[in-house]
Amino acid sequence: MVHQQHLRFSTNGRGTYNISQQISDVIEKSNIQTGICQIFIQHTSASLILCENADPTVRTDLDAFMKRLVPDGDSLFKHKDEGPDDMPAHIRTVLTESSLSIPVHKGKASLGIWQGIYLWEHRTSSFKRNLSVTIIGE
Amino acid sequence: MLYQNTLQLAEHTQGAYEITELVTEIIKDSKIHTGTCHLFIHNSSSAILISDTADESTKNLTADFMAQLAPSSVDANANINNAMNAVPPTMKYARSQNELTIPVTSGRSGIGVWQGIFLWEYKSAPVERKLTVTIMGEPLHKSFRLTR
Repeated sequence: MVHQQHLRFSTNGRGTYNISQQISDVIEKSNIQTGICQIFIQHTSASLILCENADPTVRTDLDAFMKRLVPDGDSLFKHKDEGPDDMPAHIRTVLTESSLSIPVHKGKASLGIWQGIYLWEHRTSSFKRNLSVTIIGE
Repeated sequence: MLYQNTLQLAEHTQGAYEITELVTEIIKDSKIHTGTCHLFIHNSSSAILISDTADESTKNLTADFMAQLAPSSVDANANINNAMNAVPPTMKYARSQNELTIPVTSGRSGIGVWQGIFLWEYKSAPVERKLTVTIMGEPLHKSFRLTR
């Protein structure tokens, strides 16, 4: 059995956005009890991560680390048509994930207690981000 | 429904090569309408990744960044546990994935308008790569077609 649904999120600048609830809703709607839920983001300047959901500073620290690893406006970058955050956003995406697969068990996303699914916006301005969620199972 | 195809990619030297069209053809051959497509590269010195197709410089600059992060002069085979200077190459190989799953929507790859699928070769000497594509999903049901 296959269930596929497309989701659209509005982001408001660089940072992480918890989308666990929206993904859980899609799994519930699919009526699939056992299987795999595959999430895919259709962009090259925003990505997906599984991350700790208890302390929000974990995610702000992650972003601070990325900022140091891939500095905005680095002279290495020539692709800056859309600003100093343009090329770093593409690299941040390559360093994280465009696709996540999580288990579906007893009709629910089988995540760890402290795991959350996050959309990580790498651009500093607001964007609409499209995701595709495919659940395969029984 | 399941469809799998293993293919040998022609020899490539260091760089990023777009394989979106090849993947699209395989998805078409599978006759699967809705599902997922898993791509797996059978080695640890090249990667499969999604990159921007709008500006050619994006993938080159990503490669430049990776080169800076993991200079080729550092021994790529050094063990991460006992050499701090092995972190960059390990990062390079570990952070760029050798597998990728993309959605299959309406019998096509469901990637974004500006996304392309690339084989990212790290080795400077020309080398052949084996790629396995596994597509899982459902064909278009006749009843579904009638109701549309």
